[in-house]
Amino acid sequence: MMWRFGLADSTFEPLLTSHWALAIALCLPLVLGGLAAVWPPKRMWVVALACAPLLTSGLLLLVDFTQIGLLRWQGEVLGVSIGLRLNGVSILLLLLTQWLGAASALYTPGLLNVSPPERLARWLWPLMGVVVSALSLVWLATDLITLYLALELMGLAAVGMLLLSGKTPALFASMRYLLLTLVGSLAYLLGVALLLGYWGQVDLAGLAQVVEPGPVTWVAAALIGGGLALKAALFPLHAWLSPVHASAWTPVSALHAGLVVKASLFVLLQLWSILLPDTFWAPRLVAWMGMLAIIWGGLIAWRAESLKTLVASSTVAQLGYLMVVFPLLLGPNVGPLAKALAWEGFWLQLMGHALAKAAMFLAAGNLILATGETTLKGLAGCSRKLPLSLLVFGIASVTLMGLPPSAGFTAKWLLLQAMVISQQWWAVAALLIGTLLTAAYVFRFFRYSFMETAPRHHYQPLSPGMDIIALCLALAAFVLGLLAHFPLELLHGGSL
Amino acid sequence: MIASLDVIEVLLALCLMTTALLCLFDRHLVRACCCFGVFTLSMALAWLTLGAPWLAIAEAIIGALLTVPCFFYALGIFPASSSALPRYDHFKEPLTRGMTRTLLALAWCVMVGTVIRFVLPAMVYSPLEHPLLFVGVVIVATAMGAFAWHRHLLRRLLAFNVMGSGVFLLLAGMAGTSVQGQALITIGLVVAWLGSLLSALLIRTLYLREGPAALLGASEPQESKQ
Amino acid sequence: MNAAWLPLTAIAASLLAAVIIFSLPEESRRLRTSINLLAAVIKITLVTLMIQRVVAGDEAIFSFQIVGNIDFVLRADALGVMFAGLSSLLWLCTTVYAIGYLEGTANRKRFFGFFSLCVASTLGIALAGNLFTFLIFYEMLTLSTYPLVVHSGTDKALNAGRIYLRYTLTAGVVLLFGVVLLYSVTGEHSFASERGLGDYLGDHRTLLTFIFALLVGGFAVKAAMVPLHGWLPRAMVAPAPVSALLHAVAVVKAGAFGILRVIYDLYGIELSVELGVTTALAVAACITIIYGSVRAIAQHELKPRLAFSTISQVSYIVLGVSLFGPFGTIGALAHLLHQGLMKVTLFFCAGIYAEELGIHRIDEMDGAGKRMPLTSLAFTVGALGMIGLPPFAGFITKWYLGIGAIQAEMYWVIAVLVASSALNAAYFLPIVYRLWFRVGPAHGHGSWPNEQRLGRLETHGWLLWPAVFTAVISLAAGLLAGLPFSPLDWATRVAVGEYLQ
Repeated sequence: MMWRFGLADSTFEPLLTSHWALAIALCLPLVLGGLAAVWPPKRMWVVALACAPLLTSGLLLLVDFTQIGLLRWQGEVLGVSIGLRLNGVSILLLLLTQWLGAASALYTPGLLNVSPPERLARWLWPLMGVVVSALSLVWLATDLITLYLALELMGLAAVGMLLLSGKTPALFASMRYLLLTLVGSLAYLLGVALLLGYWGQVDLAGLAQVVEPGPVTWVAAALIGGGLALKAALFPLHAWLSPVHASAWTPVSALHAGLVVKASLFVLLQLWSILLPDTFWAPRLVAWMGMLAIIWGGLIAWRAESLKTLVASSTVAQLGYLMVVFPLLLGPNVGPLAKALAWEGFWLQLMGHALAKAAMFLAAGNLILATGETTLKGLAGCSRKLPLSLLVFGIASVTLMGLPPSAGFTAKWLLLQAMVISQQWWAVAALLIGTLLTAAYVFRFFRYSFMETAPRHHYQPLSPGMDIIALCLALAAFVLGLLAHFPLELLHGGSL
Repeated sequence: MIASLDVIEVLLALCLMTTALLCLFDRHLVRACCCFGVFTLSMALAWLTLGAPWLAIAEAIIGALLTVPCFFYALGIFPASSSALPRYDHFKEPLTRGMTRTLLALAWCVMVGTVIRFVLPAMVYSPLEHPLLFVGVVIVATAMGAFAWHRHLLRRLLAFNVMGSGVFLLLAGMAGTSVQGQALITIGLVVAWLGSLLSALLIRTLYLREGPAALLGASEPQESKQ
Repeated sequence: MNAAWLPLTAIAASLLAAVIIFSLPEESRRLRTSINLLAAVIKITLVTLMIQRVVAGDEAIFSFQIVGNIDFVLRADALGVMFAGLSSLLWLCTTVYAIGYLEGTANRKRFFGFFSLCVASTLGIALAGNLFTFLIFYEMLTLSTYPLVVHSGTDKALNAGRIYLRYTLTAGVVLLFGVVLLYSVTGEHSFASERGLGDYLGDHRTLLTFIFALLVGGFAVKAAMVPLHGWLPRAMVAPAPVSALLHAVAVVKAGAFGILRVIYDLYGIELSVELGVTTALAVAACITIIYGSVRAIAQHELKPRLAFSTISQVSYIVLGVSLFGPFGTIGALAHLLHQGLMKVTLFFCAGIYAEELGIHRIDEMDGAGKRMPLTSLAFTVGALGMIGLPPFAGFITKWYLGIGAIQAEMYWVIAVLVASSALNAAYFLPIVYRLWFRVGPAHGHGSWPNEQRLGRLETHGWLLWPAVFTAVISLAAGLLAGLPFSPLDWATRVAVGEYLQ
């Protein structure tokens, strides 16, 4: 597992361009966020222009990575050594973060222009910047201290972002979440303290070499796992997710559901693969929770009254798919082929879901913004006037359902194959049932949207850019499924 | 063994213990917040005795100067406001709910206990020799209990902060006050402060919108009538 | 020369048409019509080119890697271009018909966009070179037909759409499971591979049978085999061109075509017989044939009667497949084409009756032959073909199926064929009788339910000519069966290819 996360020594030093690209990737979002807080951008092209260097830096890093393989940076700040690495997984997630962040940022001016002016709107920009920066750091960091810092920054900024539009139920939900996540971060900290005290290492690669299974490791893994599960809204701890998303601003929901909840999952997988390699029960437990999540999340979404609740609940179910893969990645008695397939499927599912869910939130936001209705019933008949938004919603939901030709399908295919090879029939059943449940709740909405008997609304015209951004994201999820070969090659590229 | 204990450390430990308990279980909220102020100052002293002066300064600044005003802001005392929160928490817990919460807290304590049990030999400062660390364990356990038991949002926030300090003490005990340990604790302090700030803002907004019922953290009206 | 671009362009033509139609505004009617027709013509041209290449013995193959050991393969083989030819020809007819049918109604942009997607998926199904690619287009077909089924947006249509999805998506999941199982056992398996799965028989006999059941079970839902046929009669609420396309080419045929591919190109006919699955399939097909016919007799409305007739007729294909021997195969393949031509004619006519005269029930059809002679003539040709009277196309199919049954020594199949023909006659002849020999509104008795004067002729030209055209073609397919490139000739070519391996 270690080489998969790029926790090995690199062959070559990073190029000079890589240093600059890294600095831009990590700092520019903060700077841009600060600038935007002072002079809030009103036009889409301003945002596009500002995002361009950020996206370029990501592409530069990609080029450098494909040329020289694994990149590592080691540095010391105030006597604390900090390590960063760029392997296949991190470059993919970094690119995903940058593009999704840029898409959300591009969408924002359109949203703020048509919605009534909000007092707190200008705070959205710096918080978004912090979230993007912190996420990039999470994908890159290789020591527990940087990870902790990045996770906490990301978590707090995300909560702040979700609260900005604050309606009362959402405030209650996020208050609960905030308290829980703070306690969760203490649990994580205690786990880290345990590792630091017992093994004397905070560097992941160093830790991997010295750590041995035993009660200390198990307790530390449990503490870290519990803390991260609280943050990631993993199944039993998901209740805060839908009320918060129901009232949050659309680009915020897109960014949050697409990436923020996955960061904790990423860290969890990474740390557990160090602390609990080849253990039976811990990943199994996560997988069972994942199965419940798939079913429960699907049922909640099926019963949902409002469109945003539907989309938010589906996040719970989709995270379940990722949880179900844990035994394949971490468990014992899994052949190398199954492990490789599961590894590819996991990241493809994560990326496909991030793109599709962001597209879905943006499309749902467009529908809601244009009609002024939030419930499924209120949106009945919207296919007449808003075909494009609905089409985007449809394309995104194809990915969520895991039907071809989409990243969701290719990922599901890989995962199913891995599960069949390693004979995990329960997981297969969960995945297949998940497909049907997803179809059930998605088509429940389509059923309303195709109604011709519904009363006609007054529609507010939206800027076409808002739909086009969503369409691009949804199509990206499609293309990712058909061209999955290229990103998956990157996953292996860092292995040497 | 007792004789070898440092008198200052014992006094500090006692002080931490009393203020923490007062802070956690006093229903008079202003008094509890004041106790938290004293608690953070004693924490700063504790860091000094554990040989981490920079941490002491950070604790004093972040804890006493930045976090405590957050609580007073949430209470509506600072800046003085006409709609201050009620000073007392009158809420009584129904027994069943209390039981489940206690169980949760107990599970947490068992986990911390296991940690201590297994790591004991490797700890830099053992709780058996250092009363400060022993107090840290007690604080973590009681604060978790308080966090689980209370429903008043501000009291839960206080409990979280106290628990944070306890965890930091434990961390220092396990990892020593090495650079990495100090870095972790400092980040933890900043995070706790930011979290408290955000929570204070939230509590204030909710109170202004929904009235006293909001302080129990429940949006449903039937729950707030209990 | 490797013409990889050929199958890809053929699919891309329809996809591109869909994209352009979606991006056009609802009002630009003319442009949309021309794009529709242009794409259909381009597609026919490309398919003709592919047929030429197949005749020359040079199959066009396009392939690229999706992940690891999984490829996306398009391959224009004889069986594939047969289905592709059918679908592109009927698409042109149906497009013309649909333009006339939907004139002046709402949501036409959506309709034609998904219509093009639907046809692109059908073509993809025809040209898929392995099971993975097949699955991709198969599911795409499911999704792109849904908006067509619920097009009218009434409660009835929406409910039908829900039931359609329940059946087809569940089937899709079953199919996905089967395909994944197969890939885990055997790895990548192209339809072009000549070895079949015989190598795995020793180790995985039960598993292979299970996978066969999953695959065929999944396809049988779309092929509307009893008891998995429930969605088809309900989906009749869709507009007439959709019903025509669903029944004649797209959905139902995709299911049958899937079964063909599994038995001929994946398992290999010898292995299927060895596993004993073909007998079970033949029994299921016979039950469906009889059941569909009996239910059809009980229907009083025209479209449901045609729907149950489809259920019955499609199983002829499955029956032919499950008879071991070249004649059964020829019968099955020829019926795939014949039934498409005949059924599309019948649905076109049913749509014309409904539009022009407001006729939905069979007892309203008295004397319609006088009012609409051309339409009724086309309907009669289709109906007689379905019954299987010589020299119509349906007769050829039944003849070959009968010979196939005798060769396979399954004599009870003959009884089923005879019974089915009798039942077909029992539900089609009364309609034909009413059309021509009963006295109705055209003779001054009563009035039509809802008469519209849609065109100078008996109805709108865009509606009439496609129906007449398909009727003529289906008639020609029967009369000129001996000529090269007739459906029978092509079916023979494919069957010879299968059995000479």
